[in-house]
Amino acid sequence: MFAFFVRRLAQAALVMFVISVIAFSIQDNLGDPLREMVGQSVSEEERQALRDKMGLNDPFFVQYWRFLKNALQGDLGTSYFFKRPAVDVILDKLPATLELVFGASLIIIVFSVPIGVFAAINPRHWFSKFAMAVSTVGISIPVFLTAIMSIYIFSVELGWLPSFGRGETVEIFGGWTTGFLTWDGLVHLILPCIALSSIMLPLFIRLIRAEMLEVLESEYVKFAWAKGLSPKRVWFVHALKNTLLPVITVGGVQIGTLIAFTILTETVFQWPGMGFLFLEAVNRVDTPLIIAYLIVVGLIFVVTNTIVDLVYGLVNPTVKLARPHGGDG
Amino acid sequence: MVAVKWQQFMESAFYHDFRRDKIAITSFVIMCIYVVACYAAPLIAPYNPYDPTIIDIMDSEIPPMWLDGGNSRFLLGTDAQGRDLFSTILYGTRISLTIGICAVLLQGVLGISLGLISGYFGGRVDSFLMRLADIQLSFSTLMVAIIFLAVFQALFGTELYERLAILMLILVIGIAEWPQYARTVRASVLAEKKKEYVDAVRVVGLRPVRIMFRHILPNTLSPILVISTVQVANAIVSEAALSFLGLGMPVSKPSLGSLINSGFEFIFSGSWWITIIPGIVLIVLVLVMNLLGDFLRDVLNPKLYKN
Amino acid sequence: MRKEDLVALRDVSFTLDKGERLGIVGESGAGKSVAAFSILNLISKPGYISGGEIRFDGKDLTRLSLQEMSEIRGNRISMIFQDPMMTLNPVLTIGTQMTEALHAHQQISKEEARQRAIDSLAEVHIPSAATRIDQYPHELSGGMRQRVVIAIALITKPPLIIADEPTTALDVTIQAEIMDLLMELCNSSGVGLILITHDLGVISQMTERAIVMYAGRIVEEGDTKDIINNARHPYTHGLMGALPQKTTPGQRLNQIKGGMPPLNEIPKGCAFNPRCPLVDDICRTTRPDYTTMGSTRVACHKALSEES
Repeated sequence: MFAFFVRRLAQAALVMFVISVIAFSIQDNLGDPLREMVGQSVSEEERQALRDKMGLNDPFFVQYWRFLKNALQGDLGTSYFFKRPAVDVILDKLPATLELVFGASLIIIVFSVPIGVFAAINPRHWFSKFAMAVSTVGISIPVFLTAIMSIYIFSVELGWLPSFGRGETVEIFGGWTTGFLTWDGLVHLILPCIALSSIMLPLFIRLIRAEMLEVLESEYVKFAWAKGLSPKRVWFVHALKNTLLPVITVGGVQIGTLIAFTILTETVFQWPGMGFLFLEAVNRVDTPLIIAYLIVVGLIFVVTNTIVDLVYGLVNPTVKLARPHGGDG
Repeated sequence: MVAVKWQQFMESAFYHDFRRDKIAITSFVIMCIYVVACYAAPLIAPYNPYDPTIIDIMDSEIPPMWLDGGNSRFLLGTDAQGRDLFSTILYGTRISLTIGICAVLLQGVLGISLGLISGYFGGRVDSFLMRLADIQLSFSTLMVAIIFLAVFQALFGTELYERLAILMLILVIGIAEWPQYARTVRASVLAEKKKEYVDAVRVVGLRPVRIMFRHILPNTLSPILVISTVQVANAIVSEAALSFLGLGMPVSKPSLGSLINSGFEFIFSGSWWITIIPGIVLIVLVLVMNLLGDFLRDVLNPKLYKN
Repeated sequence: MRKEDLVALRDVSFTLDKGERLGIVGESGAGKSVAAFSILNLISKPGYISGGEIRFDGKDLTRLSLQEMSEIRGNRISMIFQDPMMTLNPVLTIGTQMTEALHAHQQISKEEARQRAIDSLAEVHIPSAATRIDQYPHELSGGMRQRVVIAIALITKPPLIIADEPTTALDVTIQAEIMDLLMELCNSSGVGLILITHDLGVISQMTERAIVMYAGRIVEEGDTKDIINNARHPYTHGLMGALPQKTTPGQRLNQIKGGMPPLNEIPKGCAFNPRCPLVDDICRTTRPDYTTMGSTRVACHKALSEES
């Protein structure tokens, strides 16, 4: 367990290192702090003096080291636009994005498992065929189109649901604002969450069905039938757990895609989250904010992937946690 | 020669399955219509959407012909700038398809080479490349593409970016998705390597490169064919998403994604067609490619890479 | 029967007395496993039983509902599968996979079930059963896993066990151990056994009666000793000739030439005719009926008399 943890941590550190190098190179090429600090009137000599003083003429490695030290202390510079520490600006928007991801994940999990399992157990049932047909169409509709079309239908034409923003939110603790506790907040969450989950849900339904079909043909499931177990036990104890193991792995990989999709969803719904903020920052060339987003998103990837690996290790007895990635055995 | 091959194809199990599958036939026909229509756009389209001299802002937001206020000059209506939507969609689909196909070609070249190297040489090269693929995949293509294009745009300014957009999109989508091919090819290579004929040609003294390209690669073709179909669909969706975010094709030379983006704000004022019609065109295109991919997968039934 | 169906089994009928041990022998593809799996209606999809009856304890098993069948499976008739590496569920502990069979068929407390499982593991000679029970299948060797499978099959004390080539997937050294164990358990508890194998040697050691199958049909059936010592059907003869101990050292094994025909290419007349050394015109046109010769029943136009 400990060895597994250390190895996983080492890998996470490596990934974060790569991200930080990328982030720093961006800063090095994109940001000219001087331009932001002083006007055009300052002479070239003064500029050079200032550069020296600020260490901007130091070798790359020295500058990177300084950047890293600051980053580790949570200092990623000050947003040009907001005139506040970039990390603070990002963290303000974090709850909005995470709640969106949480709502979408909830939809994905709650619907994909039962539908996928049902379709595998009853492949000839009309509902299974219907669900599979809808899923095939579903994975072909890009997230932003689902978002636009749902706005057009439910907001513009029918006027049932709001089309932008988070609605009314309440602060629960440490500056975390949530839309889950007010009616208005919940109503605002519906369309964005559906849109965000719209491509993953069919993907997971298809995946779970395919895996379950394969498991149902396995010898150990046949043996379970031969033991005279009830169908419920065979399906939900013997087959389901083996079905979900590969699904967990795919889920880990898809977290990255889900976060990328938040940028699209937040743009369409003008959802005040990190993704929306990031695109604004790109348009304003607000370098510190771009970098802060990169690092925060990188951290989210690394943390969630580590958690997924850990969960997989805990659920799957054939993975010895002391020997991670020990092949397929 | 060609006639013989054609004859063989007509008698093959593959063609037999295809003829029995109504969905596959329909998808294939629609696919062909798309390809022909968009590459013949200059002949079919009533207007040239790139020619600013024929665009009249007075014609903007005219609804499709069959609706109230429609104009028989514009079959599908016009967009916010007064461009004929039908023509713009034809040209836009051509851009989307071109980017999709070129990006997948690039993915294929990169991924197949790296997959062959990884599978054939094994050892450290293999574990390094596969770990790299794992990490890149976990970051998601779209994320990598968004960040890369965003930084590029910020770095070089919008003007230069707009000129290089097609090239950049092909490069970014092409490079970001190589692991898909690499993993599939690697898995096939590992399976093929165990077979006797590879040993046989090695004994004869052929060089590794020759063995890989002349002997192993042909045997990995069916999984490559299957993923290629789906990858083109994915690349088109990625391109559309990037263009929708304003990181792809500019509105002056729109792909389907940028067309959808440019019309988005007008759905609130009722001009839904500017967004919804290109949206449907995009969905149908992606759907038929996915259906063809499903068909190929079921028929060729290759051992695809599994997570 | 539906159109385009392939027939895997035809006219396979046999009886088994209480506590009797029956062997079913034949090459792969002969339909032995299909016959065995049909008894508990466990044939893989899209296979199905198109007709006939399987009587057990006075009930026709082919007419039972899933519910009624579940009461037979694992309780009255247990099965042992071919490959112990695939038979046990990788994500459940040995204990869970043992006790669930008890819970499915008996009103029994958790503690009692666990104790029964430990006893059962000890019965199949698994050392330190009390700790093994909490392990997962991947922590056990192939031989150990097959012992666990046998323990699961026996835990409900069924009157009949069907063992489908229980040792083919194991190392040669372990094969004999497992067979001995199976024999020992059958003898001590008086359990009936249907043993499916392609090895006539195993049949002769383990069973009282034997059935030889070819291309989905029974070609010869009778007391094991008669079949071994006095085979009537040329196919049985061929199988005997393929046994290593029947060959002089240094000589090639006397294999039957050719192979089992696939289901869609079963020849007319006697299915064995293309490979038969005694083939005659009648064999190519007419399917042979059964004739009784001593204790055995044989389907062959050229059935060998005792002298030959």
